[in-house]
Amino acid sequence: MSFKLFVKELNGNRVEGELIRTIFYSLVVSFGLLALLYFFKLRYIENFMPKYGLLIFLSALSYAILLPSIRQVRAYKEFACMSGMMIGMTVGMISGFLVGFYVGATNGMFYGSIFGMLVGITFGVYNGLCCGIMGFMEGITAGFMGGIMGAMSSVMMINDHLKAASVVIFVVSSIILISLNYMIYKETKESERQVKEDYILTIFASLILTSITSWMIIFGPRGGIFV
Amino acid sequence: MKNTTMLILIVIVIVSVGAFVFVNGTAKENFNEAIAENNDNSNIQKINLGIKDYNYYPNTIKVKEGIPVRISLDKSVTGCLRSFTIRDFGVAKVLRTPEDYVEFIPDKKGTFTFACSMGMGRGKIIVE
Repeated sequence: MSFKLFVKELNGNRVEGELIRTIFYSLVVSFGLLALLYFFKLRYIENFMPKYGLLIFLSALSYAILLPSIRQVRAYKEFACMSGMMIGMTVGMISGFLVGFYVGATNGMFYGSIFGMLVGITFGVYNGLCCGIMGFMEGITAGFMGGIMGAMSSVMMINDHLKAASVVIFVVSSIILISLNYMIYKETKESERQVKEDYILTIFASLILTSITSWMIIFGPRGGIFV
Repeated sequence: MKNTTMLILIVIVIVSVGAFVFVNGTAKENFNEAIAENNDNSNIQKINLGIKDYNYYPNTIKVKEGIPVRISLDKSVTGCLRSFTIRDFGVAKVLRTPEDYVEFIPDKKGTFTFACSMGMGRGKIIVE
């Protein structure tokens, strides 16, 4: 019943009404940047599309699906410990896992883990802080685990349907993140919105994250069999 | 712009970019083959494997039935790919240096898989 209300609210005036818009802006910025890079530089790299195309495409999509959660959490600012821990854990784990997976597939386990952990911990802590130290700890732990697990999974699947696995993992992660949006809606439907903001953070975060991740995947340091 | 319109635009953008990636991103099958050498009259078929495109190179080996096969890994092979296995012939050994090798007698004809112990690097051994 309340899921129907959530879907209705996606067109409403609350922050949930801005989630689709956030995804749209993030995608436009990321794909715009990638299109420019592709036509001026990336298409001259040998085997660029077969080697990196899908991973970079999915990383841009992943950031687009992660950023609405940040917007939603920032809008309500404070959460109960239970919800805050769930938010920190979900965002930290999924962001760390996805980014670790994409970078691990091209750069190896060490660099994939480090980069995945970095992104996962940053996202996890930033979102988990909405409930104080418990969310912070949950975010840092989940980001750390997600980063390592993502890189490990992709390295182990390197010669075993890696591309299909990336798509499956992205789809499952998207379902988890949409469920998180719904959970936050359920927890806050009686609350007043605390922060109203424009889309500068979304645009800026998409630009930075997509460009750093793409650079890492294409030109970043490589380890082991990936040299 | 209404959110419903935006949702339709998102789907169109994802499908278009996805189709572009899919059409341009199909890699050619990386198939490379080697026939075991026997150039020192020792009656042993020798193969030295390296690494290319994150996998053993060559990843398809042809050997003759009943003659011992000796497989070694050159220094480009790192990590768990140095733990070499051929399950059908009971081969499982960590080849720590390029001088280490596994040796077995292919006593049955057919196509068998060789792999690292975690299955990350894989190839085929064809016994004729």
